[in-house]
Amino acid sequence: MSGGLKHGPDQVYDVIVCGAGHAGCEAALAAARLGADTLVLTGNLDTIAQMSCNPAIGGQAKGHMVREIDALGGAMAVNTDTTAIQFRLLNASKGPAVQAPRAQCDKKAYQYRMKHVLELQDNLDIFQAMVQGLIFKDGRVIGVRTNLEVEFYAKTVIVTTGTFLRGLMHVGQNKNEGGRMGDFSVQGLSGSFLEAGIELERLKTGTPARILGSSIDFSALEEQEGDPEPTLFGFYDTREETDLFHVEHPGQRKLGWTPGKDQVSCWVTYTSAATREIVDANLHLSPMYSGVIESRGPRYCPSIEDKFVRFADKDRHLLFLEPEGRNTNEWYINGMSTSLPFEVQLKMLQSVPGLEAVHMLRPAYAVEYDFAPPTQLHATLESKKVESLFFAGQINGTSGYEEAAGQGLVAGVNAVQKIRGGAPLVLQRHEAYLGVLIDDLVTKGTQEPYRMFSSRAEHRLLFNHGSAELRLQKHAESLQLLDKQRIAKIKDKSGRIDTWVETLERERVGGQLLADAVRRERTQAAFPEALMQESTAVREEVFYRVAFRGYLEREAKQIEKLRHIDKVRIPDDLDYRAVRGLRNESAEKLAAIQPRTLGQASRISGVNPADISILMVYLESR
Amino acid sequence: MPATDTIVALSTPAGESAVALIRLSGPDCVELGPALLGRNDSLEPRRAYYGQYHKQNGETVDSCLMTYFAEGHSFTGAAMLEIAPHGNPLIIQLILEDLLARGCRAADPGEFTRTAFLNGRMDLTQAEAVADLIHARSERSLELARRQLHGSVGRKMSALTDQLLQIMAHLEAYIDFPEEDLPPEDEAGPALDLKDLIQELEALIETRQYAALLHEGVKTLIVGEPNVGKSSLINALVGTDRAIVSDRPGTTRDYLSAFIMVGTWRIEILDTAGLHTGAEDLESIGIERTMEQAETADFFLLVLDTTAPSPALPPDLLAKLIPENTLVLENKTDLPESRDCTSFRPDLKHCRIAAKHGTGLPELKTAWVAALDAQTAPLQAVDGLVLNARHAAALTIAVQALEGALQKMKDAELSELIAADLRQAVDALGDVVGRVDNERMLDRLFKDFCIGK
Repeated sequence: MSGGLKHGPDQVYDVIVCGAGHAGCEAALAAARLGADTLVLTGNLDTIAQMSCNPAIGGQAKGHMVREIDALGGAMAVNTDTTAIQFRLLNASKGPAVQAPRAQCDKKAYQYRMKHVLELQDNLDIFQAMVQGLIFKDGRVIGVRTNLEVEFYAKTVIVTTGTFLRGLMHVGQNKNEGGRMGDFSVQGLSGSFLEAGIELERLKTGTPARILGSSIDFSALEEQEGDPEPTLFGFYDTREETDLFHVEHPGQRKLGWTPGKDQVSCWVTYTSAATREIVDANLHLSPMYSGVIESRGPRYCPSIEDKFVRFADKDRHLLFLEPEGRNTNEWYINGMSTSLPFEVQLKMLQSVPGLEAVHMLRPAYAVEYDFAPPTQLHATLESKKVESLFFAGQINGTSGYEEAAGQGLVAGVNAVQKIRGGAPLVLQRHEAYLGVLIDDLVTKGTQEPYRMFSSRAEHRLLFNHGSAELRLQKHAESLQLLDKQRIAKIKDKSGRIDTWVETLERERVGGQLLADAVRRERTQAAFPEALMQESTAVREEVFYRVAFRGYLEREAKQIEKLRHIDKVRIPDDLDYRAVRGLRNESAEKLAAIQPRTLGQASRISGVNPADISILMVYLESR
Repeated sequence: MPATDTIVALSTPAGESAVALIRLSGPDCVELGPALLGRNDSLEPRRAYYGQYHKQNGETVDSCLMTYFAEGHSFTGAAMLEIAPHGNPLIIQLILEDLLARGCRAADPGEFTRTAFLNGRMDLTQAEAVADLIHARSERSLELARRQLHGSVGRKMSALTDQLLQIMAHLEAYIDFPEEDLPPEDEAGPALDLKDLIQELEALIETRQYAALLHEGVKTLIVGEPNVGKSSLINALVGTDRAIVSDRPGTTRDYLSAFIMVGTWRIEILDTAGLHTGAEDLESIGIERTMEQAETADFFLLVLDTTAPSPALPPDLLAKLIPENTLVLENKTDLPESRDCTSFRPDLKHCRIAAKHGTGLPELKTAWVAALDAQTAPLQAVDGLVLNARHAAALTIAVQALEGALQKMKDAELSELIAADLRQAVDALGDVVGRVDNERMLDRLFKDFCIGK
């Protein structure tokens, strides 16, 4: 904490973060870590870093992003590791690039610990107040108004309001205002955005019912245990133990226990023929199908009624029952999101094997909310319309805690860089999933809540989760996102890996190149004894680079081919209409997106190679 | 640069043809239109006017059809005129000279297309099709290039891209959604689909050869012993106007080449040194050169002197001659000592001619067109599509990547590595059809698989 809460126009923060969800926490922490005088405002201190949906972090591509967040100094990875109750490495049978850590978290412990992380952070003030509007001056944001009629001023403002902007929840025909069941919705802020010329659109998402564990008949269900050896999200080989603490040992700044100990199980069940009959008979009561909800929901997260309708030939659907924590018996039903009325939901649940005597704790619901199409942002996540105003998280049309956290971190760093006039953090598509995420958002926008998939990353093979720290070290160092000791350790690790790769590519045993043996066997069997003494992280990275060398080199070549157009900067104030030969349609799109580079311009949908050649000629002839 | 002057070019091949097409683009077209037809009123756009071509001095040259296109509504985007006189080289020359005298400028190669491109009248694929159009010298290739312009290649490629995206979606589903209740991963299916796709792409690439025939002409070698009448034959085919018989640039004078139209085929005729075995040193150099030419020839006209004994030709050459690529021309049939030569290479089609008098040439041309049609029939079979060189090169890269993927599937290699090959193939197809956004693959994936928590 800093020297006490500041308010009013004479006491100006460097950064104000509106919202303390996954994006807001990382944004506030990132800014404060960089030494900026930061305030985070939340409507409810008890729901900091709340997992509004699935009590899980990670999974394919998302788990990778959590590791990238850790490599850039973010808090999500360690917070997950220290509060997770089950760990699983997904795709363990596939190659390292697409193996992904996933964890089931203790939902409350996660929140408590993250709140405590905020409390412990230097330069960071926390205050509970609802932001009602933004204060603008001369085309830039200078502060925020709250429901307490207290105003806070800052050089930059980061908006991380999630689904709370004019949130509207649906349970059947029943409608309630709110961004999350039991919470409020924010009405005033949307008006502020419209006033500033920031366009808003609507999206929809949903969450399943929660049930009481003691009402589940587990005897009928299939158990899914965690991995005996947990794959953690944080990089522990390069950090001091003093970073780590568990919420039960605050202030001691040490773990006190081993992450991955005493894991709990999830359980697998399926919908039944009866479930389907109930859905079919009540489809007209679903607000989605009766036309009450018109906003677009995610393709990858359909409601149960959607699944039965769109995949009519599939007679049953998989459901995971996931515990929400060690100290609660509330369970999450993964796979059964719905907006059908309460009565129907109850019948549906009772039709599922193992849930015959189910006790529902909270119903499933769909939520519609405002989002600000992210093509209105620069790649730094700063608004093109309002200077010094940054956006991160679900308000940008994304879905998922990891996507939100990653944006939050980038926005936090860039808000500080904005004040200091330093180079912003703009990750390239070939550097990290976070680079793909933000480039996709600001270049292409999104039609549905955007979720990261590994297939979105054209250079996925370079993104094995273990390499996140190595890939991003350059940025972490130049922006001072990590402390010097950790940077030194990462560099040392990186050097060791390079040396070992060279050694394997040089040394022979029995006339055979060690590297060739690794490639042929695809195991570490040919590793020399001294290499086996290295840390698991070093060995795994050496193995990956040697075993898949050909593929990694091919990726590097492709990146090299595109590098020249990624390097050509386009001035923000370029008048595309003055570029002779550029089709009007393309000129309009380019003017709307304002790409930073020719490479980004080439990724705008509808802009074709001919446009890029013309633009290239124009930029070069200027 | 904005075109301030008016450019002119002959759009049809030089040489004899029924109708030629001369195009002008630029601001002068507005006034030239009525002036060239000797009219006082302005021309109505997009209407074909029939009239006499009026030179600057008032003389008329030929009757022609003329169409005016207004600025913003033409191929180049500038005002344009299209003049279609009879395809007589002399007439064409007179008209072109007159237009230049009136202040038009001879267009650089491809300048019409470039102007159109710079005026935003076309995208890259279209521009390339038009570039091919410019080079297309026969009616047949004009027609094919037009079809491509209207997107038949685009449509075919788009369908193939969809096929590839479906294969990708089926692979990606198992990479990105390991926790979903997906049907057991089908390993044989994608491999079979991939094989089909490779075959389709290869068939498309094959059409490249056909495209080369259309765009560059059918390279036809006239072979035979010295003094069998090869030169007479060339003169008879080309006509006595030696202006269109020219030295081929960049080569020695070992042979002459000329372009002619036979039916709808554009033919490049190459005259060769006389061939016979056991030749003197000097002649054997000519034979060597001829054999080099034979390596890349599409068609052979083997000329025999029916008044002389059966020729002794190099066995290497004789081995190249097959019914699909050769006509045997029994020449000098007008002479009393002419005899029947059907016993020489009876497997080949024979035509009896007297080149000096033009006797038998119509029959020769009919047989020639039939042979060329037969030769290219298998290439034309792919929905009438033809690829240009750039497309063929991109598709070749795609096929290589797909073959890599297929091999990996057989080897049960990691699916993300197979996916990397598939992505490379998609990118290569994107070079033809425009960048393929990953969203299209995801659409397919979410359509085919029930994904969702």
